[in-house]
Amino acid sequence: MGRIIRHVILGFALLLAVSIAFTPAAHAAKEVKIGFSMALTGPLGPAGKAALLAMQIWRDDVNAKGGLLGRKVKLVYYDDQTKPANVPGIYAKLLDVDKVDFIVSGYGTNLIVPALPIAMERGMVFMGLFGLDANAKFKYNNYFQIMPAGPDPIVDWSRGFFELAKKQKPQPKTIALLSADSEFARNAVAGARRNAKKYGLKVVYDQRYPFPGTSDFTPILRAVKAAKPDLFYVGSYPGGSVGIVKAAHEIGLEPKLFGGGMVGLQYTAIQMNLGKLLNGITNYWFWAPEKTLKFPGIEAFLAKYQKEAPKQKLDPLGYYLPPFAYAYVQLLGNAIEATKSFDQAKVGAYIRNNTHSTVVGNVKFGKNGEWATSRTFQVQLQNIKSNKMSEFSKPGKMIVLYPEDFKSGNLIYPYAKGK
Amino acid sequence: MSNEKRLFLIVAAVLVVGAFLITTQMENRFYYKAAYVVLQYVVLATAWNILGGYTGYVNFGTAAFFAMGAYTAVALIKTWKPPLYVLLISGGIVSGLLGLGIGYLTLRLRGVFFSIATLALAVVLQMVVSNWDYVGGGAGTAILKPRSVPLFSNYDEFLFFVMAALAVVAVAVAWLIEKSWVGRGMAAIRDNEEAAECMGVPILKIKLFATTVSGALMGIAGAPFSYFVVYIEPTSAFHLDYAVNSLAMPMIGGTTSWLGPLVGAVLVGTAQQIATVTLSAEMNLLIVGSLLVGFVVFAPDGLVGLFGKIRARLVGKEA
Repeated sequence: MGRIIRHVILGFALLLAVSIAFTPAAHAAKEVKIGFSMALTGPLGPAGKAALLAMQIWRDDVNAKGGLLGRKVKLVYYDDQTKPANVPGIYAKLLDVDKVDFIVSGYGTNLIVPALPIAMERGMVFMGLFGLDANAKFKYNNYFQIMPAGPDPIVDWSRGFFELAKKQKPQPKTIALLSADSEFARNAVAGARRNAKKYGLKVVYDQRYPFPGTSDFTPILRAVKAAKPDLFYVGSYPGGSVGIVKAAHEIGLEPKLFGGGMVGLQYTAIQMNLGKLLNGITNYWFWAPEKTLKFPGIEAFLAKYQKEAPKQKLDPLGYYLPPFAYAYVQLLGNAIEATKSFDQAKVGAYIRNNTHSTVVGNVKFGKNGEWATSRTFQVQLQNIKSNKMSEFSKPGKMIVLYPEDFKSGNLIYPYAKGK
Repeated sequence: MSNEKRLFLIVAAVLVVGAFLITTQMENRFYYKAAYVVLQYVVLATAWNILGGYTGYVNFGTAAFFAMGAYTAVALIKTWKPPLYVLLISGGIVSGLLGLGIGYLTLRLRGVFFSIATLALAVVLQMVVSNWDYVGGGAGTAILKPRSVPLFSNYDEFLFFVMAALAVVAVAVAWLIEKSWVGRGMAAIRDNEEAAECMGVPILKIKLFATTVSGALMGIAGAPFSYFVVYIEPTSAFHLDYAVNSLAMPMIGGTTSWLGPLVGAVLVGTAQQIATVTLSAEMNLLIVGSLLVGFVVFAPDGLVGLFGKIRARLVGKEA
């Protein structure tokens, strides 16, 4: 008999443990819950943590002003470990167990797409953080993506690079294309390929390198050098970007314009690693401390971010992702305030039909929830004299060349002159 | 049919019907998604155990077989979008044939050399898929799942039911093998391959049977993956997690019987699902790692072996 009672108690204890694990925290009254998955570990972990910090700064800013429509904001999030397979379960938990009021995406296309069908099924507004054409197949009208890639992101991404090249005398005639064999890089280079055709450039080299797994880029760049291109457009991830820049210097590769779609050159740690080697490179950029990019609230946000980031060992300057991570929740919060409603349809319609002032400038959404017009900057790195962080925190180093409205200086052409 | 077999089949049928009834009663999608992952691991762990546990050939290439099932399905979906059962059968056939081929090529290798060959298989296939643009290549591709399915209120419930049925089928296959002369042959190979051969056990045939069935079950488990995750790319389909978990789960549950992988997958899989949404990713990995080390050191026969020993001791005392 004693044994049966022991078994029954054990059974109840197990049941209790499981139910505690799966039961949401008591629904605190007057809280607006915003749920998301975020890559806090895995390859995108460092960037994901920086994004999370930005979102927490927004939450604190909003709560300091009394919350949204009088309700305090609470962020509910889980680590997706940079694994797309974890995302569906996380969003199901956020919606069905945690009962969040709004959902926003994690960081990156691969982690946005698995959550999109869930948002669609529930008719939820879904803010995206740095997805490249993630909504192309779904065409969901309540998806809004904050990265300023534009309505035709694959082509718009590299448009500025080609516009700059077109204005040079004598006009460049040939181009080499190199991409990492992964989603973003291939899309970026696919766009560059289309632009090369449109701008009448002859492609003299077009290859992919295995990603991850390539560490020595000298043989690849020797092949590029042998093709003697006027322009060299690269789609790469952080590790590859560093390897390519170093290998280009090692073998003396000097196309007239070099860069394009290299991820990582915007990260402070990589900038400090490469230092003077960055001079002359022209690459896509989202924000830089230039006078033409002083959007309302950006400096106050960065001051808060830069105070906290070193403690958490995150990107100390945070110019790349954090302002946009702040902006995509800021935009959602502003829409809730403007509509005075938590209704998904109303908030979605408001976001769709209006221009929004955010820390990353004015945002207007168009086709498939991408920015109505592209605002991907082309920046040239100039006058970098050392590897110190202070080099990259002041104006005059990351010169905005494109689009014209935000131009803060002139291109040094050809690349060898700017080097 | 023996009473034992009849009872097993009745229980299996009851579980499948039970899974269907659950979908009519419960609406919370999270539980379906979490249960899907656990059940997927029941299939993978059971499949791994047919080769690794019964026959003694440790396979580190689970992800290769799983991903082949998944990518066969993706190729078919992109071609003519057939119903799910066609995807399951096709995934099973392709991964089964892959298992058969790998069996022919590698079964002359033993111990760690066989394991390295299976690991290499996963790496090679990932490279192939990464360069196969039709299924998305390295960039991956989004897959739209059907909007509705008869008898179920949404596709998540349907996928849960399908995976539950597959888990029952996988365990039933393992059980049938274990109880048959083939299972005894496998055990003989595991214990001493030379002795088994001398005694007349057709070791090549049995080993090929094991690689084929194990591969086919893994491929079947992978076939619905693209509908589950909606966006498939090689890094996640070939993730090392599949190899580690499908090996750790039988080790923790016990490798010598059909019950071991089932117990291991349910316990570890559930703990991982809970850890993902309550603790952290590091804790998730720590759970598997600690359990694996603990069981290998203190209970090499897994939970099933441990309970067997405790029971034998208690029975001994009573006697």
